[in-house]
Amino acid sequence: MKLTIHEIAQSLYLPLGTVRRWIRQGRIPIHKNGSDFVFNEAILSKWASAHNLAFAPPKKGPEKQQDPELENLFSAIKRGGVFYDVKGDDVASTLKVAVENINVLNNHSKENLYQRLLERENLTSTGIGKGVAIPHPRSFLSDADYRPFITTCFLEKPIEFAALDNKPVFVMFILLCPSVKSHLHLLSRLAFCIRDDSFVDFLKTFPSSDKLLLKIADFEEQLDRTDQY
Amino acid sequence: MRIFKSWRYPASWKFFRLDDRLLLMLMAVIVGLCSGLAALALNRSLIAMFDWVHQYHHIWWSFVLPAIGAALSSLFLEKIVVEGAGHGVPEVIYSVSRYGGLLRFRSSYSRLISSCLTIGSGGSAGPEAPVVMSGAAIGSNIAKYFSLNDRQRVTLVGCGAAGAISSIFNAPIAGMVFSIEVILGEWKSVNIIPIAIASVAGAEISRILQGNQIIFSHLQFNINLLDIFSCLGLAILTAVASIMLTRMLRSMYGISNKISAPIWVRAAAGGCAVGIIGLFLPVVLGEGYHAVQTMIGGTFSQGLALVALASLAKIVATSLTLGWGGSGGIFAPCLVIGSLVGLTYHQCLILFWPSISWVNEGYFALLGMAGLISGMLQAPLTGIFLIVEITGGYEVILPLIIVSAISTSLCHYIEPASFYLKELVERGHLLRPGTDARVLSDLDVREVIEENCITLKQNMLLRDFINIIKISPRNYFPVEDEKTDNFLGIIHLDDIRPYLFNPDMYDVVILGQIMDTQVDVVHPDDDLSEVLRKMDTHHLFSMPVVSNNKFIGLISKASILDQYRKELVVQTSQ
Amino acid sequence: MKMEAQLFHIFRNNPLGRETLLQSIYFCKKLGASPVVYIPKFTRFLMYFENDVVQIDLDSSYLSSPDTAITHATDLLEQGGVSIRFFEPKHYTATTLPDIHTNFDYMACPRSISDLSTKIGLGYIGPKVRRIVNSARFPVLITSPVYKEWHSIAVFFGGSANAVNALKLGFRISRETDLPLDVFTYVGKVSRKSYKQAIKDENLEKEMDRFVNKWHIFEKGSFEENLYKVPHTALVILGAYGHGLIKNFVFGSKMEKIQSIISNNLLIVGPNYVATQ
Repeated sequence: MKLTIHEIAQSLYLPLGTVRRWIRQGRIPIHKNGSDFVFNEAILSKWASAHNLAFAPPKKGPEKQQDPELENLFSAIKRGGVFYDVKGDDVASTLKVAVENINVLNNHSKENLYQRLLERENLTSTGIGKGVAIPHPRSFLSDADYRPFITTCFLEKPIEFAALDNKPVFVMFILLCPSVKSHLHLLSRLAFCIRDDSFVDFLKTFPSSDKLLLKIADFEEQLDRTDQY
Repeated sequence: MRIFKSWRYPASWKFFRLDDRLLLMLMAVIVGLCSGLAALALNRSLIAMFDWVHQYHHIWWSFVLPAIGAALSSLFLEKIVVEGAGHGVPEVIYSVSRYGGLLRFRSSYSRLISSCLTIGSGGSAGPEAPVVMSGAAIGSNIAKYFSLNDRQRVTLVGCGAAGAISSIFNAPIAGMVFSIEVILGEWKSVNIIPIAIASVAGAEISRILQGNQIIFSHLQFNINLLDIFSCLGLAILTAVASIMLTRMLRSMYGISNKISAPIWVRAAAGGCAVGIIGLFLPVVLGEGYHAVQTMIGGTFSQGLALVALASLAKIVATSLTLGWGGSGGIFAPCLVIGSLVGLTYHQCLILFWPSISWVNEGYFALLGMAGLISGMLQAPLTGIFLIVEITGGYEVILPLIIVSAISTSLCHYIEPASFYLKELVERGHLLRPGTDARVLSDLDVREVIEENCITLKQNMLLRDFINIIKISPRNYFPVEDEKTDNFLGIIHLDDIRPYLFNPDMYDVVILGQIMDTQVDVVHPDDDLSEVLRKMDTHHLFSMPVVSNNKFIGLISKASILDQYRKELVVQTSQ
Repeated sequence: MKMEAQLFHIFRNNPLGRETLLQSIYFCKKLGASPVVYIPKFTRFLMYFENDVVQIDLDSSYLSSPDTAITHATDLLEQGGVSIRFFEPKHYTATTLPDIHTNFDYMACPRSISDLSTKIGLGYIGPKVRRIVNSARFPVLITSPVYKEWHSIAVFFGGSANAVNALKLGFRISRETDLPLDVFTYVGKVSRKSYKQAIKDENLEKEMDRFVNKWHIFEKGSFEENLYKVPHTALVILGAYGHGLIKNFVFGSKMEKIQSIISNNLLIVGPNYVATQ
């Protein structure tokens, strides 16, 4: 196999200077042929594992799958859907009705989700104040191959949620993410929005799905701007 | 045209690329033959020169002869070859440690000529160290001609040294062991086989051209237990003699350096002194192999006083020759001094215990030689094998081992570094493979540096800094000047951790106020051992690398450890 | 922040050496490199390359007036506006034989460093300089005898692998200095097409379009006559070796002619040159 020295250094996860020095000292089975470097892939692989080094030769073929980017609120909320007049007198029944609405899951998963949401509520309330709650399962569903989504449920009437400020809750954002990273990411963004009183007031008007998404997009733009330094 | 070009790059032929051991073996044969020839050439010319000079020995002014020889030799080295005198073997070891055995081409022949001049005219030195240097240089230049890499070149340097020693002494095992023990310092199978082959090649060519002779033959010895015990005392005496020789050599170097006469005048002065001593005690002149032969043969037969005086005189003569600018090695003088010391000891034994029938004095001469070589070089195996091979006396191997081992240990206790290695150790240049010093000297700051650091500007607010902390994986942040990009200081996360969650401070604190400007920096050209020392004294785990006032990256102990381990594994597990 | 390129310069403390240092400073400023100046204390030193150790015996004028050497060099560097860095050898092979490492990016040499100044003239490149060019991984800048600024770049392209390296170096310098680049090729026994083919083989057509102002291909007249067309204010970049059987032993014939006829600054690319990009 013929590669340039930069590619070799990258495949071995070593600095360029080190690889060059080892070739000069004869410690690595790679030979210099003018400005190209020639080696036998199998032998180099064996050498690397014998010396505790990682070796990942560049593969010829389809590009490696890029790590999926973290999704933002906009797409998550869109995917989860917005529902109005969700019935229920207490936490448990409201959650049950809300979960029923989620049509991306099958019945078995819905039951599973409901149990976990209840479990989480019993630990501490997910009512974070100002009438907003963000129920989410404590650990993630076993079939982790799904995209994150947030189901927005505007309740028919406010219910006691044992929230932090003891105010009754009028809207629930059910958060379902496949990984800790995406969960934290969405949670922090949502919290940023909710921290703004004007957003909560906006929610109290029970806005339509499009208006809600627009508002969310606005907030996300703000966030993206501060993230640039 | 391709064929013509590629014959000079055998290491890249497909056959050899996979496994270069066969290539090294073939090269070893070539190197062994060449260095063997070089050794023979020196040997023959020494014999010829000594015979020629001998005619003049009866003239009254013959004591100037060593002076002339030493002066000529140092002039030759300084002006014609422009190399500089001094021992070749430390230079070979230095180059093997640090530069993969690169030696100048002129070293392959310069020392042969200069030592021929020094020794042939009567100077008290040995031809072995120059021959080792020539052999090593021959190996190195053959490796250079065929564009071999460092590891292969080092092996060929070892082959050259082994070929030279085995040829000049007709002692293949000693050549091998010397090369591995002293020059290379590591016993690896990939080295041993080519070196063995070169050793055989050198010895073989010597046998073909000179005949298979044992240099110092001797009578049968009848050894009994008491003789074996007595060698303990001899070991101690030889250790003392080795230390004396080492110290005296060093003091002579020191005195010679203080005098500001040109180098050939100093060499002449030393030679004169040797000549004068030689007038009274001719045994101190030249190599001294004739004398050794008589001593081992048991026919030296001089009284205690004379022998003791002779050994002291030889020590002084050797120091004068070598310390004042002459060119040569210490092997042969060690053999002579050793035999003389052995004889002294034998005479003492007879003096104190006249009733016991001690074995022939040749036996003690033999053991004395072994003791002195092992003590000076601190290489007991070389001493043992050399003596066994040059005397053919395997039956004395038991006392031989005892004397070598004890002498080495005593000398090591008093002088921790052997004669060849002393100056290298003092300068910190003895880098044996697989040692901490070697790993650190191979690694470069540029290989350990982490460059993906986010830099701050001194007029940024704490608020901006918070945003950066969100995405940076580090604890240290360098601060640069807005206009010139010059490095100003470092901010460590620990310093502002208490204030990170106090939003009131976000717009009030300017980074230029809180940065640390009195920070130790590292330059890309610094030695890694120096960097680690700085880190240890100031208890730092991370330091900025700054060049030309610009920040380049960070160097941390964690990344050093990572690279250090990788380097150590690769260096030691071939 | 990437590290700046470094140019190694051995300072000769006399008017001739001043010209060479000024030239090095100019080169560094143009390329954003920084000079590393060595004021020798001994006439000899060893340069350890990858496959060769070269002993340099400096002409004794290099050691003249050591007490003023540092001040002279510092003044010149300050006036030139480049950073002041002096090289102190850290390792010594013998007490009077310092080791000089070779991880520089450029090295500046006068035409000879072992011979008296009187011998330095066109047509002569000292044997040590030749050995350095042969073994070095960096290009060697052979300065013109008098300080002369250069305002364009001229690359001699002969089609060999060495010449391709020289051409790539030319592209890089043109890009970094924004100076116009001209390529000169003398069509000898081979046809014009084969040079174009050589460019195509190395995938350099795009760069040729982007950087090269004009590709002068000389088909008529002798080589020497055509050299007049090389602008006298150009930095000339060329490979040291050409084609042929004995290519590793002597400089190429064209290279010898060039260095004996024109007095521009020459940046010579040796066979072991490795591009740092």
